[in-house]
Amino acid sequence: MTVRFLATCALKDLRRLLRDPAALALWVGIPVLVSVLLFLVFGSRGEATPQGRLFVADEDKSFLSSLLAGAFGQGELGNMLITEKVSQADGRRRMNRGDGSALLIIPKGFGQALLDSRPCQLMLVKNPSQRILPGMIEEIVSGVVEAGFYLQALAGDQLRLFAGGPPAGATTFPDETIIRTSVAFNRLGARLSAYLDPPVIQLKTTVVETQGPARTNFAALYFPSMLFMTVLFAVLGLSGDAWEEHRQGALRRLLGTPGGLGPVLAGKVLACTLVFLLVAAAAIACARWLMKVPVTNPTAAVLWTALSGAVLLLLMVLLQLCATSQRTANIVAFLVVFPLGMLGGGFFPFEFMPEWMARLGRLTPNGWALMQLRALLEGPAPLARVAAGFAALAAAGAALFPLALWRLRRISVI
Amino acid sequence: MIEAERLRKTFGELVAVDNVSFTARGGEIFGLLGPNGAGKTTTIGCISGLLTPTAGRVRVMGHDVARDGVAARRVLGLTPQDIALYEDLSATENLAFWGGAHGLRGAPLRRRIQVVLELTGLQDRAREPVKRFSGGMKRRLNFACGVIHQPQVLLLDEPAVGVDPQSRVRLLELVRAEAQAGRCVLYTTHYMEEAESLCDRLAIIDRGRLIAQGTLPELRAILGERDVLRLTGVFHPERVREALRASDEMEIVQADGSLLTLSLANASARLPQIFATLAGAGAEIRETTLSQPSLESLFIKLTGKELRE
Repeated sequence: MTVRFLATCALKDLRRLLRDPAALALWVGIPVLVSVLLFLVFGSRGEATPQGRLFVADEDKSFLSSLLAGAFGQGELGNMLITEKVSQADGRRRMNRGDGSALLIIPKGFGQALLDSRPCQLMLVKNPSQRILPGMIEEIVSGVVEAGFYLQALAGDQLRLFAGGPPAGATTFPDETIIRTSVAFNRLGARLSAYLDPPVIQLKTTVVETQGPARTNFAALYFPSMLFMTVLFAVLGLSGDAWEEHRQGALRRLLGTPGGLGPVLAGKVLACTLVFLLVAAAAIACARWLMKVPVTNPTAAVLWTALSGAVLLLLMVLLQLCATSQRTANIVAFLVVFPLGMLGGGFFPFEFMPEWMARLGRLTPNGWALMQLRALLEGPAPLARVAAGFAALAAAGAALFPLALWRLRRISVI
Repeated sequence: MIEAERLRKTFGELVAVDNVSFTARGGEIFGLLGPNGAGKTTTIGCISGLLTPTAGRVRVMGHDVARDGVAARRVLGLTPQDIALYEDLSATENLAFWGGAHGLRGAPLRRRIQVVLELTGLQDRAREPVKRFSGGMKRRLNFACGVIHQPQVLLLDEPAVGVDPQSRVRLLELVRAEAQAGRCVLYTTHYMEEAESLCDRLAIIDRGRLIAQGTLPELRAILGERDVLRLTGVFHPERVREALRASDEMEIVQADGSLLTLSLANASARLPQIFATLAGAGAEIRETTLSQPSLESLFIKLTGKELRE
C-alpha cells in the first residue's frame, strides 16, 4: 500500500509539474542555453583569448612614436589587442562610447623629448568597465617607456642620427651610416650580453601529471558550476510546494488517509528527482556534444547531479517548513539559496574566488556536491570514492527525510 | 459506527472540546449542530486522527483512533470544511489521487471515478483543472473525494457552507443517499434548518460541550409541548420579567431591549392577555411570530443565545 501510494503521490506531483510547462522548460533550458552561449563565445575548444581594442592617438608622428605605437601589435600582445590609430578627438569619443579598452595619447614632441632626455608625458585613458586588458596595457606602456629610457641612454647618438632622417637631398641613409650604426649596436649588444644572455638562475619547470584529461577550456571549468546553479534554481522553485499543498488544504486532508504524509513527501522528492535527472541529462549531453567538455562518467554524473538535487531539495524543504508561514518560507529560501549558490561555486567556479572563500565554499553542501561532480566529469574516479560519495548522499537524505516529515506533519495541522 | 467517550481536546488554556460523548450508528445521519467555534471541527479532527485528543477515546468501527489509527482511517471518509483539492489537477485526477490515497487503483478506481462524477454532476467538466470550477462545483468535488472509496464512516464538516441553493440541495441528496446505503454519516453544521431536515439524530454543541442530543422529537420534547412566541419591539427587560412573573407556565426564553421569546402552552389563546400585560409593562410590540418548538428555540433555551450569534 505504501509503495503504491508513494507512486500515486509521485505521479500526482509530476502531473502538477507538467501543468506548468514553462517552469519545466526553463529548468531544462537554462543549462542548454548557457551551453550554447559558451559555445558561441569560446567555441568548441574553448581556447579563445580575450581581445581588447587599443586606440593610439599619435600626435607626434615621429620615428620613436611610431616605434611605440607598433610595440603593441607585436607577438602575443598582438593576439590580445587590436591596435587602431585614431585622432585624439575620435579616440575620446569612442572611449566614451565604451568601444575600446584604452586610449594612448602620444603628445607632440614626444620623440624629441626622449632623445633630449627631457620630461614628457604620455596619457593613457582606461575603460573603467574593463579590468584585465586596460591593466595589461598600462603595464606594457610602463615597460616600453622604461625600455625607451635605457635605449636612449645606451644608444642615444645612433637614435638621434636616425631620428633626424636622411641627409638633405637623399631619400635613404648612406651605407656608411648604416654600417657604422650596426657596428655600434653590435658592440653595445656584446657589452650587455654578460648581463642579458646567460641567466644566472635557471628556472626548471615541472608539470605535475593530473589523473585523467587536463581541463582544456574555460567552458569545461564553468559547466559544472552552471549545472549546479540550475539545480539550485530548480530546488528553489520546487521546495515551496509543500507550503502550497498546505495552502490548498490537501496536507490536512491527507492526515486523514491511511497512507499518511510519509509517502507524500517521498513522492514529492521522487518526482523532483526525475526533474533533476532530466535537467542533468540535457545539460551533460549539451556539454559533451556541443561544448566538447570531457565527460568521463556521464551516467554517474547525471545520477550524482539528480541525487544531489534531491538531497538539496530535502534540505530546502526542511528549512522552508521551519518557517511560520508560506511568505516567510519563500524569503528563507531566497536568503539561503543565493549565498549558497555564490559561495558553493554555483555562480563562479572556485578557481575565480579568493582562496579562503573557495575553501569555505567547498564545505557548503552544494559546493561539496559540485566538487564530486567535477571529479566524476574529469576523470576515471575510483569506485570506492564514487561509492563513498553516493553513500554520503544517501546518509544525508536519510537524516533529512524524517526531520522534513516531522515539520510537514507540524504544519499540516496548523 | 463512531463512539466518542469523554472526548477532550485543549490548545494551551483553550478547551476546544470538553467531555464530549456520543454514538453515531451505521445507516443514520448524526448531526453535530453548533455555532462557529463551538468545537465541531475539532471533534471531527479527533475522530479522523488529524488531532490527538487530550483525553477520552474515539472508536471508529471498533478501531481505537489513537491506538489503531491506520485501521480507523481505512474505513473513514472525510470531507473537510475548507475545500481541499489540487487546483491545478482536473476533477478526474483529483479523484484518482484521493482514491489512491485510500488504496483504490486500476479498474475499480476508474469505475468509482465515473460513478461519483455522475453522482455529483461533474462528468462534463471532468478533465478541466479545478481552478476553473465554480465554488459549488468545487464543494461537490470536495464531497466526491471523500466518498470515492465508499467509506463505512463518513465525516462531513460543514460541506454545504457557501454553496448556492441548487448545489446545496444536490449535496444534501447525496448525503442522504450515503446514509441509505448503510453508512454512518457524521454531519456538522451551524444551519439549524439543514440539521432539522437532514439528520436522524442530533447533538447540540456549544463552547466545546454537548448540551443536548437525541432525535428531533426528543430534542423538541425538552421544550415540552409548548409554543414559542417571539416578539420584537421595544422592551424594558426587568419590567417585562416582573410583569410576566405572575403568569403560570410561561417561561421567558430570552429577553432583551428589542426581542422577547416566550415558551408557553396554548399560546394563540393567550395572546390578548400577553399583549395587555406587556403594554402595562411599557412594551411596544411591532412584530409577533408564533411557532412550534425548534432547534433554534431549544438552543436559545439551553445557551441563552441565538445559534447564529
